[in-house]
Amino acid sequence: MAAASPEQASRALRPARAGRKLPLQLVVGASIVCVILALALLAPLIAPHPWDTINVRARFLAPNATYWLGTDDYGRDVLSRLLVGARLSIFMGVTATAISLAVGIPIGLAAGFFKGRIDEILMRGADVLLSVPPILLGLLVLAVTPPALWKTAVAVGFVYIPPMARLTRSVTLALAEEDFIQAARARGESTAYILFREILPNAWPPLIVEGSLRVSYAILLAAALSFLGLGAQPPSSDWGLMISEARSFIDNAPWIALAPGFAMCLLVIGVNLVGDGLRETLDPRLRHRVAGKG
Amino acid sequence: MTGYVLRRLVFAAFVVVAVSMLIFAITSLLPANVAYLILGQFAPPEQVRALEIKLGLLDPIPVQYWRWASAAFVGDFGVSMLMDRPVAPMVGEAILRSAVLAGISFVFIAVVGVGLGVLAAVKRNGPVDHGVSVATYLGIAVPEFFWSIVVILLFAGYFRWLPASGYEPMDKGFWTWAHHIVAPVMTLVFAHLAHVSRLTRSSMLEAMQSPYVTAARAKGLPERTVVLRHALRNAMLPTITVLALDVGRLMGGIVVIETVFSYPGLGRLLVFSIQSRDLLTLQAGILLVAAVYALANLAADLLYAWLNPKIRYGRSVA
Amino acid sequence: MASSTSAPPTLQVRDLTIRYRTPTGTITALDSISLAIPKGGALGLVGESGSGKSTVGLALMGLLPSEAQVAGGQLLLDGSDLLALDPEARRRMRGPKLALVFQDPFTALNPSLRVGAQIGEGLVHHRGISVSAGLDAARRLLAEVGISDPAAVADAYPHQLSGGMRQRALIASALACEPELLILDEPTTALDVTIEAQILDLLEGLRAKRGLSLLFISHNLGVVRRVCDRIAVIYAARVVEQGPTAAVFARPAHPYTKGLLAAIPRLSERRGRLAAIPGRLPDLAAPPPGCIFAARCPFAEPACIAERMPMREDGERAARCRRLDAVGAAPWPVAAPAPHAARAEAGAPIVSARGLAKTFHLRRGLAALRWQGGRIVHRPVFVRALDGVDLDVAPGEVLGLVGESGCGKTTLGRTLLRLVEPSAGTIRIDGRDVTGLDARAMLPVRRMAQIVFQNPDSSLNPRKTVRELIGRPLVRFGLAAPGDVAARVAALLDLVQLPASYAERYAHQMSGGEKQRVGIARAIATEPKFLVCDEPVSALDVSVQASIVNLLADLRDRLAVAYVFISHDISVVAHLADRIAVMYRGRIVETGPTAAVLAPPYHPYTAALLSAVPDVDAPKRDRIRLKGEIAAPTGSQGCVFESRCPRRIGDVCATAMPPTRAPAPGHAIACHLETEELGH
Repeated sequence: MAAASPEQASRALRPARAGRKLPLQLVVGASIVCVILALALLAPLIAPHPWDTINVRARFLAPNATYWLGTDDYGRDVLSRLLVGARLSIFMGVTATAISLAVGIPIGLAAGFFKGRIDEILMRGADVLLSVPPILLGLLVLAVTPPALWKTAVAVGFVYIPPMARLTRSVTLALAEEDFIQAARARGESTAYILFREILPNAWPPLIVEGSLRVSYAILLAAALSFLGLGAQPPSSDWGLMISEARSFIDNAPWIALAPGFAMCLLVIGVNLVGDGLRETLDPRLRHRVAGKG
Repeated sequence: MTGYVLRRLVFAAFVVVAVSMLIFAITSLLPANVAYLILGQFAPPEQVRALEIKLGLLDPIPVQYWRWASAAFVGDFGVSMLMDRPVAPMVGEAILRSAVLAGISFVFIAVVGVGLGVLAAVKRNGPVDHGVSVATYLGIAVPEFFWSIVVILLFAGYFRWLPASGYEPMDKGFWTWAHHIVAPVMTLVFAHLAHVSRLTRSSMLEAMQSPYVTAARAKGLPERTVVLRHALRNAMLPTITVLALDVGRLMGGIVVIETVFSYPGLGRLLVFSIQSRDLLTLQAGILLVAAVYALANLAADLLYAWLNPKIRYGRSVA
Repeated sequence: MASSTSAPPTLQVRDLTIRYRTPTGTITALDSISLAIPKGGALGLVGESGSGKSTVGLALMGLLPSEAQVAGGQLLLDGSDLLALDPEARRRMRGPKLALVFQDPFTALNPSLRVGAQIGEGLVHHRGISVSAGLDAARRLLAEVGISDPAAVADAYPHQLSGGMRQRALIASALACEPELLILDEPTTALDVTIEAQILDLLEGLRAKRGLSLLFISHNLGVVRRVCDRIAVIYAARVVEQGPTAAVFARPAHPYTKGLLAAIPRLSERRGRLAAIPGRLPDLAAPPPGCIFAARCPFAEPACIAERMPMREDGERAARCRRLDAVGAAPWPVAAPAPHAARAEAGAPIVSARGLAKTFHLRRGLAALRWQGGRIVHRPVFVRALDGVDLDVAPGEVLGLVGESGCGKTTLGRTLLRLVEPSAGTIRIDGRDVTGLDARAMLPVRRMAQIVFQNPDSSLNPRKTVRELIGRPLVRFGLAAPGDVAARVAALLDLVQLPASYAERYAHQMSGGEKQRVGIARAIATEPKFLVCDEPVSALDVSVQASIVNLLADLRDRLAVAYVFISHDISVVAHLADRIAVMYRGRIVETGPTAAVLAPPYHPYTAALLSAVPDVDAPKRDRIRLKGEIAAPTGSQGCVFESRCPRRIGDVCATAMPPTRAPAPGHAIACHLETEELGH
C-alpha cells in the first residue's frame, strides 16, 4: 500500500529508542576497550617494572613469576612496555580519527549540500587521494620529515580524511532530499542553520559508527608504519615497533613479538565490536525488519 | 556504453596525472638536499650550489615537475643517486616480482573469498556463516605484519617447512621458487580474505531479500535456480567493486609483507627508498602503484558496465 | 457475475491464524480468517495498512518470511490442504496452480535478466520445454497482455520498460503456467491512474477469457469494486465483513465498512465534510478482548468491548458485529463544518505566476559529450518540468492542481515558493514580484507563504520534538516572545486537533496522520496567507486521509488562507478546490471552476483522467483509455498531450501551440478542437 515506502524511509531516520536492550557486541566490546583503557591510564602505577630500564643480566627471559610476559633483548619487562605502549596505540587511534572527522565532516557536508562544482572539486580530490593505497600515502607523508609519533598520527588522520568526507557527503546528499530541509528553506533559514541544526544531528549515527571503526583501522595503520620504522622510534614501546624489533629473535624469544601482537588484536577486536554494536543500535536500516506487513 | 568507457578512461588518466602532481609536491618539500646527498655532507657550499644549478633544483617547482613528468611519460625516471642505476629498469623488475606475488594472492582471495561469502549468505547462520563471521573479526583485527610473524613462527620456526624469508628466481627451478613464495602468499591471503567474503556475503544477503528473488520463488523455481540465476547474478556487481578495492589494499599489503619476508619487490624497494631518501625511485614507485590501482579500478568499472544492463544498454523504451 | 455457487470452490481458507515473532513480542497478523473463491470467481480483500491483507497472499504461496508461523487453519486448494504439503510439493504448485503478482513492478523484475527469459523460465522449469520454446511462449504471453511489440519487449531488460509495461510483463509471467488462482497484491498501487485503468481492463479481459479465479488484495475500494464480484473487508487481522461486492457497497453492514466507504471523497458530492474514522489500529501484540473495532466505533456499547464477536452469516453476506440489527442502515456520523470566517472577497490575487518555466539539466557540459558515429558529439539531456505556466490564486481560494506523476505539479508548487528557482517567468506574491529577491528580502514573503508536504515521515526532522518543530517558525519570525512559545505551540496543536501533551513527542512516536497534523501546524504557525499543500494526503490510509482533508477544509474556513492543493487524485482535489488546474507534461491544459472542469466541455486529457478514476458508487459507463504512458517533458512545439491524445486531429497538434478555448468565463482549455467539439 501507499504507506509502505514512507514507513520504511522513516525507519532510516528514526532516533534509537531509549530503553532497548544493548546488543551483546557492544557490551563485550566496550568492556574490552574499557579494561585496556584503564590499564593504559594506570600504566605508570601498575607496571611491575620500569618500561625503559635496560638490564643486561635479565635478557631474553621467558615468561616467569617476576616477568609475567618475559623480557626483551635489553632485559626490559615486556608487560610493562606493553602497558605503556597501550597509551600510544590509543592515542594514535583517537588522534588520527579525530583529525579525519574534524576535516572530513565539513568537507563532506559542503560537498553534499552545495553539490555542483564544489562537490565535483572536493570529490575528485578525494578520488585522487583514495587511489593511493593508505599505507603508501602514509609513507609518502612521513618520508618528508624525520619520523615522530605525532607525525604518524597526523599522517594516518590525513589518510582517512577522504573516506570520512565521502561518507559524510553521501549521508548529507540523502538528508538534503528530505522534506524537512525544504521546510527549513521555506522559513528562510540560513545555510549554517540547515547544515548544523537540521542535517548534522541526523548525520551523526552513521558518522559515529564509521568513526569508531576508523579508530581500529588507524591503530593498525599507525602500527604498520611504526613497524616499517616510520613511526615511533626506539626506545619507544609502541606495539608496532616492539613487534618489528622482536623479529630478529622470533625463533628464540617469540614472546617478545607475540605479546604486543595479541594485545593489539584484542584492542582492535574490542573497538570493532563497539563499532558494530553502535551500528546495530544507531543505524536502524540494519535492524531486523518488523514483520507486520499490511 | 562507448560514452561511459570514454569517460572512465579520461578519469583514470586524470587520476594518474593528479597523483603524479601530488607525489611531486610532497617530495619537493623533502628536507634532504639532493646535492648534499650526492656530494656528501661536508661538501663546500659553492660546489653544492653549482650542482643544484646543474640539476635544476633551483628552478620553480612547476618547471621541475614538467621536466620530471615529461621524461616519466616516455619511461625515463632518471638515475637513482643512491644505487647509481637508472630508476626505470630497477622499478620495472621489482614491480614484476610484486605482480607475481600479488597476482597469485589475488586469485586465491577472489575465488575463495567470494565463494565463502556466497556460501555464508545462502546458508545463513550455518557453520560456514559463523566461520566467516569469526574469520572476519580476525582478518580485520590482525595486522599483516603480525600475520607474517605468526606464519614465520609456525611454518618456518616450528614445522620448518618453509624458508623464513628470501626469494629465488624461477630459473633456479619451479619448486625452489614456489617454496619461497608460499609463506608471503599465505600471509596476504589470510589478511585479506575476510574483507572480501564479508562484503560478498552482505551483497548476496541483500540480493536474497530483494523482491525479484521472492518473485522468482513465486514462480516455483527450485532454490538452486533462485540463488544462482537470480540472486548471485545481481550480487556479483557490488562484489566487482569490492575486488577492485581489494587490489588497493593488496598493494598496501605487499609493502609490509615484502619487507618482512625480504622479498625483492616494489614494496620493499619503496620502503628502502624512503629510508634512504632516494627521491627518484620513490616517485617512480608510488606513481606506478597509483597507475596500477587506477587500471584495476578502470577494469572493474568496465566489467561492471559490461555486466550491468542498465549501463550496457541505455534507456530505450521498447 | 455470480458464478454458480454449487461448484466446489477453487480456494477455501479456513480459520487461518498467522503470528509473527518480532523483537517486541508476538504479533497476530491474521486471526482465524476464512475466505472462499469459487471457480472463476474474483474475491477482493480490502484493508488499510497493517490489516494483514498481504500476509494472506504470502501464506497461500508458501512464501511467508521465517519470522511468520502458521498457528492454525487450513488452506484448501481444490479441496486439498496446502499446509499439509511438504515444501517441495508446495514449490511445484507455485506457477501451475497458484501465481502471485506483486505490488511494485519496479523491483519485482530481476534487473539483470531479459524480460522474455523471466517470463519463460517458469515454463522451462515446470513443463521441461526448451529455453527457446520458453521464449516463444513469453512472446505469445506478452502479446496476450496487450503489448504491441512483444519480440522487442521480450528482448529488453526491465529498466528499459515503463512501469505499466513492467506490470504487464509480471502478469504475463504469472499467467505462464496457466494457474487456477491468480493472487494480485496491490497490482496497480504504484501506477498512475490512467495506467491503472489500462491494467484493470486487461485483468477483466483475462479473467473472462481464461476463466481465472482471482484473489485481489487492495486498499483501494474503487479498484476492488471494478474487478471483484465478492469482497472481504479485513481490519486488524480479522475479516469484519464479507459479501457480494454490489450489496456490500450499497448497504455496508459492519460499521468499519460504513466508515471506510463514507471516508472516500466522491466526484459527485463536493463540499461538506468527509466521514473520518477516529483513533488508530489496535496493538496487534495485545489485541483487545472484544470487538477489534470497538475502540473506534461510534455505535459501540460496553458489551462490544468485553466480548469477542463471531461472524454472523445472513445468506450471501456475513459480518462480525454484535449490533448489526441495531445499527441497521444508520449512516456513519459526519462532523459538521467549522464556523466559516468571512471568506475573502475575490480581489487582487495573492499569488500570480506568469510564463513560469523550469528546466532541469540531467546531463550538460562535459558530461553530455557522447561518442556517436565515430566522433564526439554534444548531447545534453534536460527535462522541461515547467513549460510556460500561468496561474492565479485569489485570497482564501483553493486552487486544485491535478496531474499524473512527472507532470511537474510538485515542481510548480515549490517554484511558487522559490524552493526551486524558476528558469524563466515571474512570480508575484501579494502583488510583489519575488523572483529576484535576495534571502533577506524574501523573509517577509516566506512568512506569508508556507508549504505542507506529502510524506509525513520526511517532513519532520526526526531529532526534534513537536515543540521545537512548531516553535521554530514562531522564533524565526519573532511571532512569539520566548516565554510565550509554549503557549502558542499548544494553541496551534489545538487548532490541528492534537492534545497539548504531544509537544514533547518525536516524529517516531506519532502515527502518519498525527505527523501530518504537526506538519500542518508548523506551516500555519507563521499565519500565512497562502499554503502549498503538496499531496498532503497521498501517503495516508483512506480513513486518515478523510480527517486530514476535513482539517484542511476547516483551516481554510477559519483562517481564510489560500491553498494550492496538489494531488494526483482528482476526487480529493474536487472535494476541496474552488478551481482546478489540470497539468500535463509541464503545462496547464485546462483550468476553471471545479464544477466546470468536472463537466463537459473537457480537455481530452481531463476527460481521460475522469474516466480512469475507479468509482466506488457505480461502474463507469463510457471508458476513455489513453495509449502509452507519460514521457519526460523535453519541450514541445505543439500540444504536450498530442502523442497520447485519443482525439488528435492531425499534424497541427504536433506542430502548433493549441489555442486557448474559453467555454465560460474563467474556464480555459488549451486544445486545437473547437469548444463545441470538446463538449462531446
